[in-house]
Amino acid sequence: MLTLSNVKKSFDSREIIKGVSLQIERGESFGLLGPNGAGKSTLISMICGLIPYGAGEIRIDGKVVGKQLKEIKQIIGVVPQDIALYPSMSAMDNLLFWGKMYGLSGKAAKIRAQEVLEIVGLADRAKGRIETFSGGMKRRINIGAALMHRPQLLIMDEPTVGIDPQSRNHILETVKSLNEQGMTVIYTSHYMEEVEYLCKRIAIIDEGKLIASGTKKDLSNRLAGGTVLKLTVDSLHPLFIEELKTLNSVEKVIVKPGEEIDVHLHSKMEMVAEVILLASRSGIHIHNMQLQEANLETLFLQLTGRTLRE
Amino acid sequence: MKSLLIAVKDAKIHLKDRKAILMMILMPILLTAILGSALKGVMGGGSMPETVLGVYSPESNAMTENIIQTLEAEGLAITVERAGTEKQLMDWMEKKEVHVGLVLPEGWGVDTDRAVIIPIIGQESSSLIIQQMIETFAQMSQTIEHATKTVMTEAAVMSANGAEIDMATIQYELAESVEKVVNEQKIYVIEPAKEESVSSMQYYAAAMAAMFLLFNAMVGAKSFHQERKTETLSRLMMTPTSGHSILAGKFIGTFLFAWVQFLFFMGATHYLLQVDWGSSNLQVFFITFFYSFAVAGLSMIVAAFTTDEKMADVVGSMGVQVLALLGGSMLPLAVFPEALRKIAMLTPNSWALTSFTSIMTGTDWSALWLPAIVLFGVGILSIFISSFRLRAV
Ligand SMILES: Nc1ncnc2c1ncn2[C@@H]1O[C@H](COP(=O)(O)OP(=O)(O)O)[C@@H](O)[C@H]1O
Ligand SMILES: [Mg+2]
Repeated sequence: MLTLSNVKKSFDSREIIKGVSLQIERGESFGLLGPNGAGKSTLISMICGLIPYGAGEIRIDGKVVGKQLKEIKQIIGVVPQDIALYPSMSAMDNLLFWGKMYGLSGKAAKIRAQEVLEIVGLADRAKGRIETFSGGMKRRINIGAALMHRPQLLIMDEPTVGIDPQSRNHILETVKSLNEQGMTVIYTSHYMEEVEYLCKRIAIIDEGKLIASGTKKDLSNRLAGGTVLKLTVDSLHPLFIEELKTLNSVEKVIVKPGEEIDVHLHSKMEMVAEVILLASRSGIHIHNMQLQEANLETLFLQLTGRTLRE
Repeated sequence: MKSLLIAVKDAKIHLKDRKAILMMILMPILLTAILGSALKGVMGGGSMPETVLGVYSPESNAMTENIIQTLEAEGLAITVERAGTEKQLMDWMEKKEVHVGLVLPEGWGVDTDRAVIIPIIGQESSSLIIQQMIETFAQMSQTIEHATKTVMTEAAVMSANGAEIDMATIQYELAESVEKVVNEQKIYVIEPAKEESVSSMQYYAAAMAAMFLLFNAMVGAKSFHQERKTETLSRLMMTPTSGHSILAGKFIGTFLFAWVQFLFFMGATHYLLQVDWGSSNLQVFFITFFYSFAVAGLSMIVAAFTTDEKMADVVGSMGVQVLALLGGSMLPLAVFPEALRKIAMLTPNSWALTSFTSIMTGTDWSALWLPAIVLFGVGILSIFISSFRLRAV
């Protein structure tokens, strides 16, 4: 469906996208995870032909983006990062306008707008002006506008930024069901939970480079010591620390001020018991114990030394 | 087709914007009512200005009495007050009891000293009319004198030759010389008088239309920046629509709204303020077409040379005010000195304004071609210049 080969882009001689290659299959839901400023929006702008790419090639359905732009634009629906709607117009009028801009006739646009309003769950607010809507409702119409022309490929650029959890869940469910009905989805976010929930395959982007990509399973296999057992103890016995390090499942041990120990584990549960056993043998009291499981956030932290949202 | 969608969408958005409605539609109607009635004194409530003329002439002879009668009699709405001394006249002027002062020096006549005309500030247009009257009068006197001389000479020559006096020749020559002067007079008196003959309400209706349609240049540019800011412009670019079609859509949108605004204004001034827009609506619409075109072009210029809404707002409203002032939308063009009138011709609104006022008093289609071409040129040039900068949206 979509192929990126070694795509690059510079703004004012600063390289923003540093050679990205990707392949997305038809019907897939693909997650693009990365912190603010990673280059997600830039990448999307290039995919939908809004800005030219500096080097490499982007193909959609075998067509090169930049050459057969009109046909490509008809295939894809883009949900921009910002609410790109006309605030003084009603939800219905906005949807009609965008539908017609994709070549829908007046009648077809009306029928489709009604469907789309059902999909995003705002059928009862069709006549309401966008400016009177809550953030979540605006986001939903923002998505709706991209669905009017029944795109085969839906590209969403952080569609849930700054909204209430309820709207967010509604959006996530909407996207999931669209994908289940056969729409190819590219979902961009800096919330790893969203990407984890929605997407089978994920790429992590940072500073214009893909630093990891694959299925969720691929990625968690790449995690070394992703699960962290956080202990707070009464005393830091050097011998206990040494013995901890010799345990099979332990990747590394980090001692922190305030009698805290972070034990990074290769695998989880079965090894927790071992650690507790060792502590009691060494006569050490555990005041507090917390198990932090591996996720994309930890993977990102491990790969870059930074958190996703800093 | 896509351009039209964008244009209609834009016009609808403007119509929903209360601030825009207030400024673009209600304001000009209000201003026309206020300025039109406030300046009735200056501009003339009817077709001609009402002027109090103070006259001082030390000598009372046939010439002076004649000119004073002429000034009073021409239906010019001029009231003549005669001052006993020059000082009295100056007093009147100081107290503004008269609008224009006229001194006819001793021995004033056709070949002698010119009359001194002293206008009070703000009454320059009235003094202009009086000056024309006096010059016309002088010309007329010259004609009569010339005619008399011709008759006398002819008669003398013929009688000296012993021939019969040929009345036919004399008649012919007389008719010719009088005709010449009368024709000149027509050009001289009637044409400038035409300009003056709209009422103040009519003048300001035309002036406000010209001024407030100009605001579309600002509104259009702002809508462009707004679309850029809210990323609806990016979204438009993601639809299968070319950049040119989008620009054309924005252009047509501004053009359309200018029309809506004008039609509303014309209707309101006609029905509420009884403004007579002349006998040919077709001519009015003809000029409106080209003026809207020019204004839509200017909106592209403002959009191209400003970076955001705020800047477009500042540049636009300042530009409109300067153009309005220079182009006769605030003060009547008639009170402008010659040099400023020339400068006024550089403003598109003055072309629209003078076309509207001449349509109001009745004009030939042939007189409207030049303004139409000028306005069309402004539009085309604007599109051309802005296209270089707006291409990289
Ligand atoms: N038009 C532009 N000109 C210059 N720099 C840009 C432009 N667009 C984006 N950038 C820069 O590119 C980087 C990536 O931006 P973006 O793609 O918006 O990141 P993300 O969407 O992942 O938050 C940022 O550092 C941003 O400042
Ligand atoms: Mg972004």
